[in-house]
Amino acid sequence: MTAAISTSHPPLSQPGYRLFDGPLRCVGDVSVGQIGVVGMPSDWTHSSRLGTRFGPDALRRATTLLQSIRPQGASVDPDTSRRTVPAIDWLVDCGDAEITAQDVDATTQAIAAMTEGLSAAGAIPLALGGDHYNSFPACLGYSRGLAKRAPNARFGYIQIDGHLDFSDRLGAWGSLNHATNARRISELPNIDVSNMVWVGIAGWVDGGDLVLIEEQGGKVFSASDVHKLGPVEVMRQALAHAMQGCDELYLSIDIDAMDAGYLPGTGSIVHSGITPRQYYDLLDGLTDAPLGGLDIVEVSPPLDPSERTEFLAAEMLFQILRRFRTCSVTAQ
Amino acid sequence: MPLRSAPLPRMAGHLSFMRAQTKAICDVRPDDLAVLGVPFEDTGAPHAGQSLAPRALRETSVYFGWHANPQFSHPVDIDARQDISTDGLHERLCDLGDISLGSEDAVHAALRAAASQINNTGACAVILGGSDHLSETVQSALPMCQTAQLGGKPRDAGDFHIAPLSDGTIPTQTSNTAMQLIELTHWRDASRPLFVRFDLSVFETSLSALCDQPRLGGCDLDTVSHWLSALGQLDVSAIMLTGLNPNRPGMGVVKVGQRLMVTALLAFIYARLGFGIAPPTRQISKESVTT
Repeated sequence: MTAAISTSHPPLSQPGYRLFDGPLRCVGDVSVGQIGVVGMPSDWTHSSRLGTRFGPDALRRATTLLQSIRPQGASVDPDTSRRTVPAIDWLVDCGDAEITAQDVDATTQAIAAMTEGLSAAGAIPLALGGDHYNSFPACLGYSRGLAKRAPNARFGYIQIDGHLDFSDRLGAWGSLNHATNARRISELPNIDVSNMVWVGIAGWVDGGDLVLIEEQGGKVFSASDVHKLGPVEVMRQALAHAMQGCDELYLSIDIDAMDAGYLPGTGSIVHSGITPRQYYDLLDGLTDAPLGGLDIVEVSPPLDPSERTEFLAAEMLFQILRRFRTCSVTAQ
Repeated sequence: MPLRSAPLPRMAGHLSFMRAQTKAICDVRPDDLAVLGVPFEDTGAPHAGQSLAPRALRETSVYFGWHANPQFSHPVDIDARQDISTDGLHERLCDLGDISLGSEDAVHAALRAAASQINNTGACAVILGGSDHLSETVQSALPMCQTAQLGGKPRDAGDFHIAPLSDGTIPTQTSNTAMQLIELTHWRDASRPLFVRFDLSVFETSLSALCDQPRLGGCDLDTVSHWLSALGQLDVSAIMLTGLNPNRPGMGVVKVGQRLMVTALLAFIYARLGFGIAPPTRQISKESVTT
């Protein structure tokens, strides 16, 4: 006979982790200028090594844990000599989009609906992948929201990535997968390829895709460019190119641009030689950029038993969101 | 024709190196690149798993099967901005499959016979190991060859060593690649073909945890690719890959070791086939190291 087990614990107000330990609210509750977080736990559109569907949860956990060991509240951030701001003031976690396994169209529309709502309201959607395909629905929603908010506005695009992701199709996955997301974004109505920039591309790439990008005025910085020119100069040039004639920037952060020796927990590893410090310096170059939306993708916790990948990725968010999570020491 | 990789998913279908055509060893032609797996490990290895390396290397290689994928254009080395036409790759790259496993003596005998037979046709063998000790077997099958070794423990002071694991018997060499390439041309006897031993331990340990002989101060991918591109332009009878253990404890899902090796090996294959550089030749008087 099994004895009845009784447990007693305090009520859980919000079970699970939220990004930066921020509040969990609906899309409609996000204010102008705030970061609105959308999880995209989908890896059906990756062609080989899966596991990125666990990425959003891992990023939420890692940012919350890193946050807990950093200065809180009115403390001064030692990295920036700026005052830290509680996440509740600048970020709202809207939870995950509804993912319909193996129905890429339904998943696309579900993600896009959330980022569209955020963008149209003047908030900044931050989408957590998921494989890199999900960057397209995230940007699709942002694009639609921008068109509602500012019909004539245009946006530039920077993709930090080990790969171009500019194929038109990929084998059995057709036109909607992790190798075509940038191509699909280039077809949106309020962006032009001449305002698209890739940073960190490594190794062998498809020659046809590269020609197509550069013939249309897009710009590609390889990992070697980052080593030769330095991350600060590369991102200065990248931002200037992307923002020509544009009002806002959409940033897609694919973690796999970092060398796999540092960061093995991702589906399509590259050996770029890009170090964590270089990657963070690249992101530092965008701290004051007019961010309209962003995503971070390809965090695959099952592929890294050491768990360092998710913490390296969480640190990327700390870098790119510095403008939001800190303020001048003199600010009220 | 190659086995088509598209629209076939990478993890599906018949697995051959870079989706190359499969061949029997008797059908290998002169100037072919003939891939041969040796899924064998000796009991002296510190961890079990090196026998899984040939399959791991083939799985990773499919990513680079450009020539077999009609949806891709042609590869470009994004660092060098160099276009590579791989049109002829499927005609010269072939996969012979694996050596059949039996007793240790039988495996060594089969490997010795296969390496010798491939060499006699005038082809270049690309041997996927497996235990490092097996490369000594290949070396014994190619007695006329000079041996250049990347990583691994030095066996013979007469060999040319690139970033060897130090055992105190071989003088420390300069880490200046340009200087070492000059030393290579002085060491090289162009009247003899070359055997290249490529051990994963040539890489800096922080780049890959899948090596049973980890070492600090190893090479980065660019340096190893540079070496293999230079060696690929010489008269190479065989190259053997060793040292990869895809099953290192706790690291089974981390595939960075095989990716490192195959990415570097691609530089050798392209150089061997003359893609993007002056065609390699087996004629002694024309052999040169282009860097």
